[in-house]
Amino acid sequence: MSAVFVSDLSKSFGSLRVLRDIHLPIESGDFTVLLGPSGCGKSTLLNAIAGLEDIESGIIEIDGADVTHREPSKRGIAMVFQSYALYPTMSVHKNLSFGLRVRSVPRQEIARRVEWAAKLLQIDELLDRKPSQLSGGQRQRVAIGRALVQKAKVFLLDEPLSNLDAKLRTEMRVELKRLHQELGVTIIYVTHDQIEAMTLATRIAVMRAGHIEQYATPDDLYEEPATLFVAGFVGSPSMNFLRGRMVAGDRPSIAVGNVRLPLNGYRFRSSAAPGQEVILGIRPEHVVVANYGIQDGVFDAETVFMEPMGADTLGWFQCGEHRVSARLVPQAARGLSGRVRLSLLADHVSLFDPSSGLRL
Amino acid sequence: MTTAQWRDRVGRTGLYTLIAWMCLFFSIPLLVVIATSFKTSAEVRTFSIFTLPASPNIASWIKAWAHACTGLKCGGIRVGFWNSVRILIPSVILSVSAGAVTGYALSHWRVRGANIIMLLLLLCAFIPYQVILYPLVKMESAVAIYGSLAGIIAVHVVFGLPVMSLLFRNFYVGLPEELVKAARIDGAGFWRIFALVILPLSVNILIVATILQTTGIWNDYLLGLIFAGRDNMPMTVQLNALSTTSTGEIEYNVNTAAALLTALPPLLIYFFSGRYFVRGITAGAVKG
Amino acid sequence: MATPVPVRLEAPLASFQPDRAIEQRRVGRAYHLRGRAARLALIPAVVIMAFCFYGSMFWTVYISLTRSFLLPVYKFAGTAQYVRLFATPRWQVAYSNMFIFGFLDIIGTLGLGILLAILLDRSVRFEGIFRTVLLYPLSISFIVTGLTWQWILSPTIGVQQLVRSFGWTDFHFNWITQPETAIYTLVFAGIWHQSGLIMAIMLAGLRGVDREIWRAARVEGIPAWRTYVSIVLPMLRPLVVTCLVLVAIAVVKSYDLVVAMTNGGPGFASDLPGKFVVDFEFERANIGQASAAATVMLGSVLAIVAPYLYYELARKNR
Repeated sequence: MSAVFVSDLSKSFGSLRVLRDIHLPIESGDFTVLLGPSGCGKSTLLNAIAGLEDIESGIIEIDGADVTHREPSKRGIAMVFQSYALYPTMSVHKNLSFGLRVRSVPRQEIARRVEWAAKLLQIDELLDRKPSQLSGGQRQRVAIGRALVQKAKVFLLDEPLSNLDAKLRTEMRVELKRLHQELGVTIIYVTHDQIEAMTLATRIAVMRAGHIEQYATPDDLYEEPATLFVAGFVGSPSMNFLRGRMVAGDRPSIAVGNVRLPLNGYRFRSSAAPGQEVILGIRPEHVVVANYGIQDGVFDAETVFMEPMGADTLGWFQCGEHRVSARLVPQAARGLSGRVRLSLLADHVSLFDPSSGLRL
Repeated sequence: MTTAQWRDRVGRTGLYTLIAWMCLFFSIPLLVVIATSFKTSAEVRTFSIFTLPASPNIASWIKAWAHACTGLKCGGIRVGFWNSVRILIPSVILSVSAGAVTGYALSHWRVRGANIIMLLLLLCAFIPYQVILYPLVKMESAVAIYGSLAGIIAVHVVFGLPVMSLLFRNFYVGLPEELVKAARIDGAGFWRIFALVILPLSVNILIVATILQTTGIWNDYLLGLIFAGRDNMPMTVQLNALSTTSTGEIEYNVNTAAALLTALPPLLIYFFSGRYFVRGITAGAVKG
Repeated sequence: MATPVPVRLEAPLASFQPDRAIEQRRVGRAYHLRGRAARLALIPAVVIMAFCFYGSMFWTVYISLTRSFLLPVYKFAGTAQYVRLFATPRWQVAYSNMFIFGFLDIIGTLGLGILLAILLDRSVRFEGIFRTVLLYPLSISFIVTGLTWQWILSPTIGVQQLVRSFGWTDFHFNWITQPETAIYTLVFAGIWHQSGLIMAIMLAGLRGVDREIWRAARVEGIPAWRTYVSIVLPMLRPLVVTCLVLVAIAVVKSYDLVVAMTNGGPGFASDLPGKFVVDFEFERANIGQASAAATVMLGSVLAIVAPYLYYELARKNR
């Protein structure tokens, strides 16, 4: 089991820059997810790591070896594709064993590996069937099995669950997590579904427009997003954003409209001058309907509407120019209407520079 | 350059070389024929046809076109050219139209036995001409069109119908049903829908069908030989007659010129419409 | 030469066919009135098929079972015509030639066509030009094809003469004038003419193969040639079968090519059933024999087409 190290990687399609300055240090045994909207370059990056796409500059190391110019089959990787790409005219057994046979792996070894993978993925009863006779979920397992028998160091998966229906998808998510824990392999996984990313990954690389915005654990991404984009992309329902201005004074605070909010415990990464415009981000669960006692940092708001979501209700309020959402207990939400007072829990805010989008 | 890239480069060069050789194999016959047509008679007899003409001249072309002997007459192959044109135009128009209407009727209209009709059409497309030549001759004689222009046109329409119908049918099946349905709700009937809805969308397939039929009919030999009659012999028949007259020395330069003249129309169509040509021969799913 | 039959071209996975029957029934009474126009429009096609094709076909088969000679005689004679036919040396040559020519032509055309399709599938640049060059023979009539190859293979002005002019004065390549080898010369022309068609069809098929299968094979370390042989071409098996059927039927129908290239000669050493029928029908005016020969041709075609249709039907219903 090994580390994957990508550094200064760039790729263009003609004049279009698809990946810029990608830096990705992946630990051995990690489950790294490349997450982002369509067109952000996550699949291209995966293909570049696999060696299926050439790169203009950068280094790719797998298990300490520089594989930047090596053929995919010589990189010690195995891959699962979005459409599974099973060989249609071969039986499941042959699909699993064909690659090994071509590589002249001894027949006994092949039989051993196929049996092991089939049992692990519960497809041993399907070995004689052709892909066209399998369901989507079964094909998915065969594709994973084909990757497993390669005994590779790194597994690359390109949106493997996107062709499955919702129920199967949740089942397979559990399967994948179980496999990862049992086998301890290094996995790089591409998806646009942030829930998938949050549940499966040990670390997530959020990508936008060919660049990695943040590479961190799910918790870090959620609680301390490094950019405006990450803050808005991760977490559902999404974070609230309010425009404000830094205020001069002995304690750092921010003014939103004419409300002043103290920022005592906020860990600043870079300094923010007084008068500087900032964007304040706060998650709905950290917006509370205020008690009458608190004076500082309380907003007057007008109730707009309620979104019942089952376990809790998302309330939408208009505060001046901002529309703010707050997670409410359903019973409390039912009684709310008209003017309310909202308080933002200052310990949980995120501050961003409006022009660069970076966290302050 | 890494070993992998070097190996890749060598592989690529080998690939292009192989393809180039293949292209040579395919082009040589045409090039040889072209070269020979510009030679003098003596030149051809002394050397092989593979040499380049010493002093190219178009004398043989003129002779092939206007003076060569095809059997008893010596009016050149231009007679055959105009005959082929006179056969081609009505035949193409009629067979493409018949195919289009038949294909249309089989596609968006639920007709009982449509599947059987299509299967029968498919089988017709495979039947060799030789199996039904004689009965067709008898039928045409019965209505007194055998050996006339009408006769050969009729035959081309008959033989073109199965292929054309299936071609159009498979294309029309791919058109969205909603268009026809919307027109029917508006009160349009079979023919009006054809004229106003279907035809405007058929430009591509009409081009493909026309090219297919033009090539097939222009290049036809057997049907022209049997059905066209002495006054309407198409160019291919004239060409064969011209090339096999064994009186005196064989004038290969004239024969090659005549062959080129015969091959030119479909060849030009091919070069100018390659995309449609390819689509014509590979397009359409034949219902099995 | 006949227009080529349009060919099935499907991606390896079956395509989805919407069910229109339910919707059609809903349109109701008004629909049935207009359905009549469609049925009327189909009458010419049905009539032509009935009389010109099937009627003629049955007539020919029937005649082959009678005692007809110059004119149709409607007296049943069983298999007499066939017995006589297969005792005729010329027919024996023609019939066996069909198999010799067919076998070589099919293998050569399919082999070269598939090879060219694979080559073009690999390379990216200039594909348009290559395809144009490889496909143009298809636009040329069999007469011109036959004449051209007759000239090229002619001992006096063709290849033999060319090689001799280089100095090898003993070089022989007079296949086309020798009875034993004349039939093989047709193979050159046949392959030259039709490989492009097979190439175009197979190339379209290769293009329809999911590119992710290629990537999967590449990651597994399977070399390109092995991918073609073990994965991609088996996926295209139905298409290869279709190509085989097309070439086989073209062989059975052959007439123009033989006439132009060798005229069946020398003697009748390179005769083919297609020419035999026409000669006996119009030159020798022996309708009985010609019909018998034509029926054998028909039988050959059916022997190819029937299993093919059955194979296609079975494949679709799986």
